[in-house]
Amino acid sequence: MAESNHIPEDVGEAVQGVRPGAEIRVVAFSDLGPDGNFGEQFLALADDRLLVFSSDSEGPQLLKDLPFSDVSKVEIETLVGGAALRAVVNGRREDLLSFSHAMSDAFGRVRIQLDALIEGKPLPEVEERAKRCATCGLFLGEHTRVCPRCLRKGATLRRLLGYTKPYAGRMVLVGCLMMGGILAGLVPPYLTKVLVDRVLDPRTNYHLVIWLVLGLASASLAHTGLEIWRNRVTAWLGARISFDIRSQLYERLQWLSMRYYDHHPTGTIISRLTQDANGIQDLLAYALPFLVVSVVTIFAVSVILLGMNWKLALIAMVPLPLLFLVVRKLWRLLRRAFHNWWYRWRRFHGLVADALGRVKVTKAFSQQQSEIGRYFYRNDELRAAGAYADATAGTFFPLMWLIIGSGSLLVWYFGSMLQMHQGITLGTIVAFLAYLAMVQFPLEFLGHSTQWITRALTAAERVFEVLDAESESEQSRGEVELEEIHGEVEYRNVGFGYEKHQQVLKDMSFTVRPGQMLGLVGKSGVGKSTIINLLCRFYDADEGEIFIDGVPLRDVSLWSYRGRLGVVLQEPFLFSGTIAENIAYAKPEATPEEIMAAAKIANAHDFIIGKPDGYDEQVGERGNRLSGGEKQRVCIARAILHNPAILILDEATASVDLETEQQIQEAIGRLIKGRTTFAIAHRLSTLRNAHKLLVLDEGRIVESGTHDELKAKKGLYAKLLDIHRRTSTVGAIDG
Amino acid sequence: MDKRQGVQEASSLELRYLDPDEVRVWRGEDGRVYCTIADELTVLTPMFMRSHPLSDLERYLSIRGVEPKERSVAMGKEFGLLRNWHRLDPDSRAIVEAELERRYLHPKVFAILSVRDYSGVQVCEFDTDRGLREVTLRDVRDNVIYLGRSRILITDAEGNRYDIEDVNTLDPDSRARLARIL
Repeated sequence: MAESNHIPEDVGEAVQGVRPGAEIRVVAFSDLGPDGNFGEQFLALADDRLLVFSSDSEGPQLLKDLPFSDVSKVEIETLVGGAALRAVVNGRREDLLSFSHAMSDAFGRVRIQLDALIEGKPLPEVEERAKRCATCGLFLGEHTRVCPRCLRKGATLRRLLGYTKPYAGRMVLVGCLMMGGILAGLVPPYLTKVLVDRVLDPRTNYHLVIWLVLGLASASLAHTGLEIWRNRVTAWLGARISFDIRSQLYERLQWLSMRYYDHHPTGTIISRLTQDANGIQDLLAYALPFLVVSVVTIFAVSVILLGMNWKLALIAMVPLPLLFLVVRKLWRLLRRAFHNWWYRWRRFHGLVADALGRVKVTKAFSQQQSEIGRYFYRNDELRAAGAYADATAGTFFPLMWLIIGSGSLLVWYFGSMLQMHQGITLGTIVAFLAYLAMVQFPLEFLGHSTQWITRALTAAERVFEVLDAESESEQSRGEVELEEIHGEVEYRNVGFGYEKHQQVLKDMSFTVRPGQMLGLVGKSGVGKSTIINLLCRFYDADEGEIFIDGVPLRDVSLWSYRGRLGVVLQEPFLFSGTIAENIAYAKPEATPEEIMAAAKIANAHDFIIGKPDGYDEQVGERGNRLSGGEKQRVCIARAILHNPAILILDEATASVDLETEQQIQEAIGRLIKGRTTFAIAHRLSTLRNAHKLLVLDEGRIVESGTHDELKAKKGLYAKLLDIHRRTSTVGAIDG
Repeated sequence: MDKRQGVQEASSLELRYLDPDEVRVWRGEDGRVYCTIADELTVLTPMFMRSHPLSDLERYLSIRGVEPKERSVAMGKEFGLLRNWHRLDPDSRAIVEAELERRYLHPKVFAILSVRDYSGVQVCEFDTDRGLREVTLRDVRDNVIYLGRSRILITDAEGNRYDIEDVNTLDPDSRARLARIL
């Protein structure tokens, strides 16, 4: 395992063999050999020598030995499936070693450490993110410490049962009702036995009939009543528990860090909230109670049967193990078949949604026939899976009932024999049959319950995984409450990468004075949005520090800080609701007059009044009932009402027509007045008024200054400006 | 400062709130509506538009000019907002009320008298403040807006809208019929 602070013995020996007495400052292990196959190499910095060893069965072999003082830079080249560490030695690039992605993190840290040493800084402490289970070493990813392999089912179940704690009273009630129901269910077969043995068989005692029938009736009534009561309480409990889990989960989702969302597709998160939460509800409200009922029923019936006639009881139980095994086996088959069917359904849905979405393209290229062909294939797949699943189910259940029925056949035969030879009563045989019928369903349930329960427990684990994931508030316990933010922002030697080994920002330093506008310029992927992401504190800088009014951003309370941050994004985000609600999103207590004033400044008031419902107009899901320019202006109004000290504009005027752009520009001009503004725009003309422009390339600032200064400099900015001018001329001619 | 100037400026950066006393709405001999603001500006056939037609009927009435477009009349610039148009003098108020009545066809449903279901299309009879009306609903679940907890706006197959201001105040039969629709 890669580890840079603790040095294994053989590494120490190998290094001492080459450089006696040298101090090892950095060490890292690769999981690939020098030939690129899986194997082992390691890198060590011993005093001033950078050493690379391969280690095979014959022990470590020195491969490279470079003077570290000649190294001017250490780089990581990202390859497919792996990466390589390179050193720039006297201006020449020298490959040190390569490694798979499993080691990327470790070598990312090594790169940071070596770079720091090259620059003459002390060896930085680079925090290691634990990605593997501490016990078994299973890869877990960054955001969870729950190891599915080490997780004890009992512990999960206990944690799950914790959710029932607030409803302990009702749980006890369910338990009592269950026991009552079972007891009431045990009575009728016994009364039947009495009826047969005392009345029907000897043809006497007819005065007892009325009492026995009344007894039967009241037992049935009690059984039914208790059952209904239990079901109703269970329904309440189940819904309540799943409500609790969903609430807790959703609350947690709101607080999870951006990194979590980077690594988890929305689809999986939604399924945690829906399917997994339902799985838990099923387990707690239905599976577990029924499991208890089944076990108790089988136990009680066995005791009664053994008490009535132990020989017959043992004979009747002969098919039970067989039943249990068959159910287990077949149920697995059945589940797989239905799972497969469900999966085909999903693929089928995907295909249809996709095909209907591009119907225009299909027609334009007259590809209807090929679309029909694709559909036919999926449809046929679905047909086959459905037929198989239904056929399996259609075979499984009759077979199961046959095996269950075989128990009664045995009772009929051996019961009759016993009656003949040992004189057991007819009533006993009848009661036996009735009791056997009672355990059939519980037995069948026990056969497949393990799978059900395992599945539900896995769902629970997935839910707990989210609940246990690192949240923003935990990772960033900023203490400093900024009373008022003036808006001075300083980036001091900031370095950052979404993945450790791939730095997106390098040694970034600049200052923005309160009220100034900073324009970020550069091709896509050079780090403009990353600067913004760090400013919003969606992520923390790996190196260096960001200061807000002189206070390190890490120490500022996230809550108070984000409250003074305003964002207008390229993709204007509106939520389903009225226009007024959307404007007041960050300030729900705003009065209608405040909302209208903000809309007026954002050039939105007039178009809003023009809507049939005015400010009460529903914007639709994601605002899709408004045009792009309208959405944008609603977002600007929102930012104006929020009155942020620091404002972020991310390509706010992309993708709208010229007239709308002009209106938006005007609105933005009003919005940024007196606020520190970070603006990203591809249309460089929109940044003309910025106090300072930073031109970025490969994560570094390559030029900075005002529009005019940079234009005169004839550097990268001038080049970009030139390209921009030419394309807009073409656009104008086209238009 | 010239008052006219003030009116002009209202359209640029700030909203102008009008004093009900300085607004007079009247009908000319030609039968058209005129609106005089602060005795110095008269708007011919002004438009009165509610800024919150669903949540607040009285407040924030926008008084606007009209710009004739090719086929219809388009909304012109805003001369100002009335915080509460009920405070206008009675004559003006009556005209504004009539104008609003004309602009906002917004029937309020008091009762649902019947519902007939024809495989997905429902024909209902609504008793509204504008009289009885037979309404055809299609895909009604997609055409209903919930405002708050108890107010519902239903759009029928032809695009007309019906407002149930408080579901809880409907009689039990109407409520049962509503539950059947939704």
